[in-house]
Amino acid sequence: MPIIVLERLPLPNLKTYTGASVLALSACIYYATHIVKDPDWNKPKSDLDVSPSNNEDFINNNTNHSSPDDRTFSQFTGDTFSVMTKEPICVWIMINMAYCWLILIGRCVQKFVFGQLRVSEQQHLEEKFWNFVFYKFIFVFGVINVQYLEEVLLWCSWFSLLGFLHLLSQLGKDRFEYLSFSPTTPAWSHVKLLGLLGCIFVFSLFMFLISIFVGFFQGLNTFAFMSAEVILLGIRTLHVIVRYALHLYDICRDTNGSLSRDTATALEKRGPVIYYIELGFELNALIIDFVHHMHMLLWSNIFLSMASLVICMQLRYLFHEMQRRWKKHRNYLWVLNHMEQNYPMASAEEIAANSDNCAICWEKMETARKLPCSHLFHTMCLQSWLEQDKSCPTCRLALNIESPSDNRPESPEIQHNAPQPARRPLNHFFHFDGSRYVSWLPSFSVEVSQLPRLSRAPNSQLDAMARQVQQLFPHYLLPTIIEDLRVTRSVELTIENILDGRLNSQTLRESETISTTSSNVPLSILQSNVEQPDTSSSQNWDDINEENVENEDGIAVGSRFSKSPSEREQILHKRKEKLIQTARKRYVDKQRTPIST
Amino acid sequence: MAGSALRRLMAEYKQLTLNPPEGIIAGPINEENFFEWEALITGPEGTCFEGGVFPAKLIFPCDYPLSPPKMQFTCEMFHPNIYSDGRVCISILHAPGDDPMGYESSAERWSPVQSVEKILLSVVSMLAEPNDESGANVDAAKMWRENREEFNKIADRIVRKTLGIYIRE
Ligand SMILES: [Zn+2]
Ligand SMILES: [Zn+2]
Repeated sequence: MPIIVLERLPLPNLKTYTGASVLALSACIYYATHIVKDPDWNKPKSDLDVSPSNNEDFINNNTNHSSPDDRTFSQFTGDTFSVMTKEPICVWIMINMAYCWLILIGRCVQKFVFGQLRVSEQQHLEEKFWNFVFYKFIFVFGVINVQYLEEVLLWCSWFSLLGFLHLLSQLGKDRFEYLSFSPTTPAWSHVKLLGLLGCIFVFSLFMFLISIFVGFFQGLNTFAFMSAEVILLGIRTLHVIVRYALHLYDICRDTNGSLSRDTATALEKRGPVIYYIELGFELNALIIDFVHHMHMLLWSNIFLSMASLVICMQLRYLFHEMQRRWKKHRNYLWVLNHMEQNYPMASAEEIAANSDNCAICWEKMETARKLPCSHLFHTMCLQSWLEQDKSCPTCRLALNIESPSDNRPESPEIQHNAPQPARRPLNHFFHFDGSRYVSWLPSFSVEVSQLPRLSRAPNSQLDAMARQVQQLFPHYLLPTIIEDLRVTRSVELTIENILDGRLNSQTLRESETISTTSSNVPLSILQSNVEQPDTSSSQNWDDINEENVENEDGIAVGSRFSKSPSEREQILHKRKEKLIQTARKRYVDKQRTPIST
Repeated sequence: MAGSALRRLMAEYKQLTLNPPEGIIAGPINEENFFEWEALITGPEGTCFEGGVFPAKLIFPCDYPLSPPKMQFTCEMFHPNIYSDGRVCISILHAPGDDPMGYESSAERWSPVQSVEKILLSVVSMLAEPNDESGANVDAAKMWRENREEFNKIADRIVRKTLGIYIRE
């Protein structure tokens, strides 16, 4: 909401804003120097000022003034400053100037490190910004319940700085995730981003020291409030840095090419370590956030205020996140344990006999685990797959891993994957994840059920039956057979239908024509081995390929995978153009032939 | 995470470049983002989509190949298994858990051994032989069943559109 309002407001651009701020500040300074020029400015003013205001700090500054005539330059500026701090307009102008500085610094960092922000980063940033402002507003006025303007100002400046670093850290995280999508990011952008993240981390340490210092004078509660946010900032930033380092390590490993057996085993061992580091970061951040909110809730004495309601919502969200993470972790442990007990490491001979790469990551296997169906995978690859599905990736053999609890981790989608009972109604899940919009909105799922259409056998059973039929009649497509089996629910009856020619002849005819053109792809996928398309159909394509080669100028299109990204892009573009051109030509030729004959 | 997904996508890109299946081209739209691909699929011969070159976008998740990519045609499509916004509804693109249509056996669904190439090949076969049970586009499914001639006409118009050929009728 506020974003929309903000967009409609005629916000001045940064240049005019900076100009206006500087102008206002110089006017302010001029005004102050004008007053200070008079040697006796101090006396009447401070007399007037003592009683009503509470700004003791400011008055303290003014108390020990020397005789005005022999003022040095520094004393003069000190006086000017003290005049400015006493004048409310000047104070506001100075605060404005400070924010202007912050924005300018932010702009410089953005220009230097990030360049043009991407749309999603911008949205993320805005969201995070308003979220932060909203929460800190609630904190300052709802929880701490500040009475004096000075206190508000102090908290505001603290949170401005903190929020600024939070936003930068968020931006760094977003950018890291984006950069990790590309294999060809120049090293310089990695260095810049890591440098920024390092700076943020150092700043957060520095701010932690400040919060200790302030807490020393103001008490434990203030310390806890101040430090919680700083620690969160530090943890999040460090998390990104660690992930970044691991990612860079991964990328470098890639360019190094083949691995020795030692490094491969080292990698296998590295998996759990990385997992626990991640878990530690995530859980720590959640727990600190939770405790922080709990503290806020207990501190704000009025339990039924709007503020406490908002905090409760946030607490609920954090609790669910913690629960979710913990369940995921239990699932992880369970799978790990199950794997270690049931799937032995493959022997060197077995790996040697199996010339294929790991089917999950397509990389060479130095060590592997063996499933009961004797398919081999990397331990880490298998682990991450088994966490979400309990079957062999290659042959779909169901592995009897029972979940550690009734509840599967994460979303309801995953709860689906237990074998479905017969007559299970069609269910649709609508999952609303409120936290994606505003972090304190709840997440919920709505299940919409439909009446069962047909009484059906379980899918897996149907599938098995269909395969049985298909073995006898390989030229029938699996879906067609399943279709019929849905009605007959018996292998024998379906076979009878086929023999009597009762099975939808049209589908049969089509499937025949297709099998001559595009090969029986669905089957090949089910068997999960790539079949070469029929040679009968590929002849035409061969012609075109020849044409391609003839037309070739400059870069060779086929049979080369360039190392240079720009060349790859170019080649891909050319191939695409060529495909469309030949298709167009063929289409036109085809249209012509019937007319001429 | 993204690192291993990146390596796998690179390997697939390499394979699809060196050894492309007939009539199929796929690769990242931009080298800066390996998780968004564009694919060109030639309509299979002997079907109403014959000769057309259909562009589609593939969006990969960070945990690819553990989760399937999303596929969406970026040209106009009229097909029982393609939503009107171009999203493709075939079983290979569904994670083993979710089952929006409630009929697929898990054997046909996504698994990490599947690949971009297999997805595109099964899309080709889907173009050739619609599965009118999954009603991603109910109108198209109905027309496919009841008025094949009309369906073929629409398909031909789409084919011409993808090729940029406009013939007066
Ligand atoms: Zn692997
Ligand atoms: Zn297997």
